[in-house]
Amino acid sequence: MDALATSILNRIIRRIPNKNIESLLKKWNCLSADQLRALDYTRPKWMIVEHIVSFCEENRLNLKHITTLEMIYHIENPNQGTWHACQLAEAQDDAVCVELTQFKEQFKAHLHGVIRHISIKMKKHEDEAIWIRIAWGDNFSKPNHLKPTYVVHHLHTSYVFISNLMVKHKIFLCQALVIATKHGYIKDGHLSTRSLTAMRDLLLRHYQQVFPNEHSRIPQERNTLSSHPCIGKEHGDHEEMRHQMSCEAFGHSPSPKLETAVYRLETRYRGNGNNTLSDREEFFRGVVRFSSSSLLDSLRHCVASGMAEGPVTPLLSAIIQRGRNYFVITDKSPGVSSQASAQRA
Amino acid sequence: MALLTPFSKVPELNTATVLLVENEEELQSKLANALVQYKKDFNVNVRLARKLPLPVENKETRPRIDLIVFVVNLLSERSLQSVESSLAHLHSDCFLGKVCFLVTDARCGSHTQERLVSVRKLAASHQSPVLCAEHRTVDGVNAAAVRLLNILKVSAGMSPIATTALYLSSLTRCSVTSDLEED
Repeated sequence: MDALATSILNRIIRRIPNKNIESLLKKWNCLSADQLRALDYTRPKWMIVEHIVSFCEENRLNLKHITTLEMIYHIENPNQGTWHACQLAEAQDDAVCVELTQFKEQFKAHLHGVIRHISIKMKKHEDEAIWIRIAWGDNFSKPNHLKPTYVVHHLHTSYVFISNLMVKHKIFLCQALVIATKHGYIKDGHLSTRSLTAMRDLLLRHYQQVFPNEHSRIPQERNTLSSHPCIGKEHGDHEEMRHQMSCEAFGHSPSPKLETAVYRLETRYRGNGNNTLSDREEFFRGVVRFSSSSLLDSLRHCVASGMAEGPVTPLLSAIIQRGRNYFVITDKSPGVSSQASAQRA
Repeated sequence: MALLTPFSKVPELNTATVLLVENEEELQSKLANALVQYKKDFNVNVRLARKLPLPVENKETRPRIDLIVFVVNLLSERSLQSVESSLAHLHSDCFLGKVCFLVTDARCGSHTQERLVSVRKLAASHQSPVLCAEHRTVDGVNAAAVRLLNILKVSAGMSPIATTALYLSSLTRCSVTSDLEED
């Protein structure tokens, strides 16, 4: 095994806690049962890595197998790095008939055609997601396996999730995706998070949605503290109404774990205090950034507990409704710019 | 403006009702639980509210309220402001021994001392007692519940000695201390 494969293996094993190494190696299925039994996971990491390297050399494994291990590791731990969402648009008539093998062939064929040295690996996960690992080279140098791009796509949906893509390779990847899925073009989804599961749940609507409803109210998860018959709430109706409103805007718990929402303002200053700022012709540019360990839960709690007044502004509820967390807000002013709408779609 | 009056309804047998008013709604549920679960020889009903005035819809079903407790969290400015605006919705008869102030976090930080002084002045001007409670432990909540139950017993007229709610305000003059009286 060459130095590159060893260093990649080293990097993977160092990241995992010792108790998870065994299950990963079992899934990998490249070491024999005796070898797996011989590994002692209570030793320090560098010893474990050495053992695994020696077993790999015994079995004559090479870079290909190591990259498979890396891919399995990423599939098992998808919530690291930063993921960006892209949306495919303009589906052609036979886009719904695209099958897995057809997708794979077209994708690989296109990329191999435009770049001479490239390494592509595809794997279908049991939840219908296709994982693609791409190590990019160019016409002169070998593929760089230390910085691979990961792409996740659910066939027949219009969303693609991408991690670790460099700008110079973006056009090749976009072209390949558009051709392989038989769509017209691909556009930026304006959604980026650390957690792939959160992004996928949000866009594929896997969270519990609440629809506005005349009669039935969703049950709140109340702990037993207030269910004693002698305890009565004066503002019980208001509380339920606030809870309903907050869940309509932000989904019922548990919501997808987004971390930030960014609003870029390109509007005119409209406060009435400061004279020097109000009469300007040019825009007052600012950025508003909300951060939290779980943004949608925090916003929902703000509205449900009454800290923020309802109804919820569409700027905030658009996070879930439109499935994005980067917004640009412009003014509806005639004759200044070509963006006539308040929110760029 | 519909004011909350203390004597407009008939009392129930061996039952007392306390109304806990708190803007943050965090201590009141724990306190309510401690109040109903504590061993005592009369029934206690607890009503929880965020602020006054109370919703008109509940007027018929609401029992007679014997004690109104305003819970003030000294770490938050809004808590005190909400209590001040709620006080305007009480009939003046309520201040004859049926109102009590409960403050929390009196020992944390410097702003709390100033707010504690303003709460005590507010309570002194309304002839009502001020209790300090520690709400972060179970023991603290239980201790506050016991003290509230003692005051509730008097306000509801269940104290066997001839102590009525009217005398409560003169017995519990802890809100007005000598340093405040000098002002």
